[in-house]
Amino acid sequence: MSGTFTKSMARNIFYGGTVFFFLLLLALSFDTLQQLPKRDMRQNITPQIAEGKKIWETRNCIGCHTLMGEGAYFAPELGNVIVRYGDEGVKAFIQGRPKDGIPGRRSMPQFNFTDEQLDAIVAFLKHVNSINDANWPPNDQG
Amino acid sequence: MASTTSAPEEAPHSKRLPGDLAIWIFILAEMLAFAVFFSAYAFARAGNAEMFNLYQQTLNRNAGALNTLLLITGSWFVVLAVQAAHRDDNKGVSRNVALGILCGAAFLAVKVFEYAEKFGAGISLSTNTFYMFYISLTFFHFMHVILGMVILTAIWLQARKGAYTSQNSHGLESGAAYWHMVDLLWIILFPLVYVMR
Amino acid sequence: MQYKSQAVAKPYFIAAIGLFVGQILFGLILGAQYVLGDFLFPAIPFNVARMVHTNLLIVWLLFGFMGGAYFMIPEEAETELFSPKLALLMFWIFLVAGAATIVGYLAVPYATLAELTGNDLLETMGREFLEQPLPTKIGIVVVALVFLFNITMTVLKGKKTAIATVLLIGLWGLAVFFLFSFYNPVNVVLDKFFWWWTVHLWVEGVWELILGSFLAFVLIKTTGVDREVIEKWLYVIVTLTLITGLIGMGHHYFWIGTPEYWQWWGSIFSALEPIPFFAMTVFAFNMVNRRRREHPNRAAVLWALGVGVMAFLGAGVWGFLHTLAPVNYYTHGSQITAAHGHMSFYGAYAMLVMMMISYAMPILNGKAANSNKSQVVEMWAFWLMTIAMVFITLFLTAAGILQVWLQRVSDSPLPFMVVQEKIAIFYWAREISGVFFLIGLILYITSFFIGGDKKETA
Repeated sequence: MSGTFTKSMARNIFYGGTVFFFLLLLALSFDTLQQLPKRDMRQNITPQIAEGKKIWETRNCIGCHTLMGEGAYFAPELGNVIVRYGDEGVKAFIQGRPKDGIPGRRSMPQFNFTDEQLDAIVAFLKHVNSINDANWPPNDQG
Repeated sequence: MASTTSAPEEAPHSKRLPGDLAIWIFILAEMLAFAVFFSAYAFARAGNAEMFNLYQQTLNRNAGALNTLLLITGSWFVVLAVQAAHRDDNKGVSRNVALGILCGAAFLAVKVFEYAEKFGAGISLSTNTFYMFYISLTFFHFMHVILGMVILTAIWLQARKGAYTSQNSHGLESGAAYWHMVDLLWIILFPLVYVMR
Repeated sequence: MQYKSQAVAKPYFIAAIGLFVGQILFGLILGAQYVLGDFLFPAIPFNVARMVHTNLLIVWLLFGFMGGAYFMIPEEAETELFSPKLALLMFWIFLVAGAATIVGYLAVPYATLAELTGNDLLETMGREFLEQPLPTKIGIVVVALVFLFNITMTVLKGKKTAIATVLLIGLWGLAVFFLFSFYNPVNVVLDKFFWWWTVHLWVEGVWELILGSFLAFVLIKTTGVDREVIEKWLYVIVTLTLITGLIGMGHHYFWIGTPEYWQWWGSIFSALEPIPFFAMTVFAFNMVNRRRREHPNRAAVLWALGVGVMAFLGAGVWGFLHTLAPVNYYTHGSQITAAHGHMSFYGAYAMLVMMMISYAMPILNGKAANSNKSQVVEMWAFWLMTIAMVFITLFLTAAGILQVWLQRVSDSPLPFMVVQEKIAIFYWAREISGVFFLIGLILYITSFFIGGDKKETA
């Protein structure tokens, strides 16, 4: 065994370094949780927005789209879709999807939403659009 | 990593690396992280020099200078501790390590005082880019001082049992090297963030 | 085989490879849908196929990790597994739960699946990679805990080597951080913030401990280099991994509503994340160069070196490409991300599991290594899959650069779908590379069935 490079020292540094950086992560996360109310618009969250998020999740929208850049990259970013299409445009698009898709093109399923559900989705997307996400995406195209 | 092949080959007393290679790798990694952080500071400052200069004036430079003195003194005590170990002076080791820890504690006390004033004024990481760097860098360093003190305390406990001798000062030297790094980083951080304009 | 309870690893490995095939088939479907939009629509919409693709990946890697641990831990602890029966029972539970979940994805609409499986009790579904229904998530926790109990007890009654310790920390971390998948607040920023505590702390945190540990194990066995040397470097590497990777999580907190200081913290620390991967590559090559014996299993050694190189390229280099906040502002959520995701998962984890299987399978079958013929086929498979993955990554990177340029950087940004059509050529090229990958995979499986000339007993 080498005198100047010991396993016990390497092990102690592993434990010490890990604990150290995990504590640092906790400290930064703690600060983030303090700051979030100023950015995430939680004061505006209504039951309708909550319902919209649930529809977003149970239709697995993230499986094709991105939301604030996270998700799949098969279909457009939706964090700012309200900016592109407007409330009514978004609803009309969702409602207008043909059941069997568009021949040869990427197709979105027809979910047969009720008007309340469409309103909830729009409310949710509007809420996401209002979040202060450091001006991302770079432009309206997402 | 190149040293994997030849690390242990030096003779024990001719120009050997004090302390453990593992701590030196750790020190290098830490210094690299700080170096990148310092460069980021310089980069951000270059684009915003006036704002940085303006808020720099709100920092407590006296507290910073006092802290510099405390850490250098702490490093000095740790050097004395290593020398004491090489003389097989057990009492000297534990006394000097304890004094080093005290210097660290005093540093933390001054820092807490400084933070209390800043945080009391409602300054946070999100106030502006200058304060973001000020708090990030000093707090990151603050945590290193604590880690250094934890290491020194472990060494102090060992030293009281007479663990470090002229034949075996390996652990002590490793801890001392880390403590010197904490000192060195502050000596760069203090002028960079508090003084330089 | 040194300990007969190591045999429980075999079904885990077989299941892993089987699910891997499924993952690749669905990958090809996805690739086809990128260029032939309505392919299999509405029977298997893209989101369903993608869910199957990514979930199969996670499940087969978990099978591989568990199989690898069951194989490795008895040898490290120098004692029989605490309970081989429990391990087999968990195998079947996990396999059935996994298969049922995939069938669920394919058979019923996702919203119906959510309703049927109690998503209303605790809403956890519909988030990327964590799409599993509640019972599956609970199943994963149960299986993981029983598995951890089993191997922890084994280590406790036997020797506690550094390799086993690092593996245990990695696996316990895996189980603990998965618990964040049960937390899904209405506040979408909080949701995303803690979603990463599972996803990032898995793949750029604790999984890398598993990676280091498996790699160290196979290197000790195949090179004969001193355990002491390998283990201390293992500690150094996993230290570097965690000191860069934990705060490196900040690179996911740039644009999701989290405070802007993460742009600095995340950029700085994730810029350092390639270092541990580079160290791992140098480590693997160094140990192989210093080998004290010629292990007959050359294929396993090739996989070990491959893991080092490809993890460094995929996770290190391709990660660094877009990890700095000013760059990421434009590349976030583009095909660049997809390129990085493909090569890093293949390089760091898929190859890792194949390395373990490559080393362990012959031993589980009672020989030190497969026949020369079999190994040659396996090595062909290695090169085909790896090169195919390099090309998939390059084509996606090209697609990504163009996408970013046309959609985000240029003076007159084009809509998403217009851009997608303009870059379709790269998606075709990616799909063709994917077919080569599948051929490589078929070759890989074939290699298991090639008997051969020299039979050595382990």
